Amino acid sequence: MKADKLLQLQRCVSCQGLYLPGNGPCPRCGMREAVPVEIPPLGTVLAATELMNPASGWSSPHRLALVELTESVRLLGIVDGPLPVIGDTVGVRREGMLYRLSASPT
Amino acid sequence: MNVQVSSVGVGRFGKRAEGWLELAAEAATLALDGLGRKPIDLLVVGSMLTGAVNGLESTVPRLASRIGMESASGLRVEAASATGAAAFQAAVLAIESGRHERALVVAAEKMTDHPTADIARALASSLHPSEVAIGATMPGLAALVSQRYSGRYGLPTSVYDAVSVHMRRRAAQNPNAQFRTPVTPEEVAASRPVAMPLRLLHCGAISDGAVAVVIEKGAGPASVLGFGQGLDTMRIIDRVDSTSFAATRIAAKRAYEMACITRKEIEFVELHDAFAPFALIDLEDLGFCGPGEAGSWFTEGWVAPDGRLPVNPSGGILGRGHPVGASGLAEIAEVACQLRGEAGDRALPRLPRVGLAQSIGGLASHNFVTILGREAA
Repeated sequence: MKADKLLQLQRCVSCQGLYLPGNGPCPRCGMREAVPVEIPPLGTVLAATELMNPASGWSSPHRLALVELTESVRLLGIVDGPLPVIGDTVGVRREGMLYRLSASPT
Repeated sequence: MNVQVSSVGVGRFGKRAEGWLELAAEAATLALDGLGRKPIDLLVVGSMLTGAVNGLESTVPRLASRIGMESASGLRVEAASATGAAAFQAAVLAIESGRHERALVVAAEKMTDHPTADIARALASSLHPSEVAIGATMPGLAALVSQRYSGRYGLPTSVYDAVSVHMRRRAAQNPNAQFRTPVTPEEVAASRPVAMPLRLLHCGAISDGAVAVVIEKGAGPASVLGFGQGLDTMRIIDRVDSTSFAATRIAAKRAYEMACITRKEIEFVELHDAFAPFALIDLEDLGFCGPGEAGSWFTEGWVAPDGRLPVNPSGGILGRGHPVGASGLAEIAEVACQLRGEAGDRALPRLPRVGLAQSIGGLASHNFVTILGREAA
């Protein structure tokens, strides 16, 4: 189970919307109260790119992807390994405040 | 609404030797000269980077004392890359309120005397910190939006090349534009990758530049018919739709409603093309065509000066250049110039009566739409 550590999201107690935890309230309704929800750490790639000049502290080329998790929740993560294409399933791993994405071990 | 643009001053965009204050004063002087020196009682300054990059604050008294306007009131406005549009709308509200008679709006940015990495970092300050923390930049996020757009609608990236070609062709007619040499689709497609699908010639360039307009009570060829703004989430992951900008749609709805017109009455537009694909998203968000349909407007030439909807006669950001805080006012100034018959070689074939300017702030988190048109006195 270690490699497949579940991913934690939040469910808003007001609108029942699911969202990625951050510092802010529910992005849909603004409510701050939420309960944690765990989901399988897999996402579908919506877009992926390779930055030739990433933000300072990162080396080039730097790969990022926008992925969709369950219930249309989206996440922006750093791609480890080759650049995925739209529609690929990727594994998602949280590392501190950021997320890392890699080819799914299926 | 009884407010009109009565004078426009635009300096040359590009790499300039002058500093921020000199560029701002130059545009201000051009606008004031066009006015015949009527008294101004409000100075509104727009800039995004003067503090972060140029080390200049107190921009209002700095400019006021430079151009002899110490007796006016003043304020500075910031809305990232839509700053110039926000400054314009703030000034319109001030005149409309009756508190002020005549306002000078000056939007200026000085960028080329700093390393690109410093500018990129300053521009990224308009993004959500969690996105910057994973290495994202403005072009990086724009690339993800662009790829999602082309992926969703099955468009080849040659459509984006057509946008860049159009803007550069228009800019060739604009003496103040940064890039006055047209480019071919092949040159765009061969320019170096920034973040695929975006290449260098799909991206707005770092520029210096300033624009000024005078607005006052009254009616004329460039009257303010309507305006609006819209906000969106800072994190792009929280947006329901990543192939459209809700902030533009909200701003457009508010502007159309205020002007009591529909998009069918808009005769030309100046839209925010900081990245070529954004011009397509803008046309769709403004209601001119359905989702995924804007590409053919560029490939079929419908956006040419004699087409069904002339787009960016100034050359847009891709041709005119992108001094970020000034671009929003440059868009409005071009609409005013076209309506006032002051557009010189780039004047539309027929003098238009209604035009629309649209500006994107940050990664479309704070967008503005302004509609100007002819109103009888």
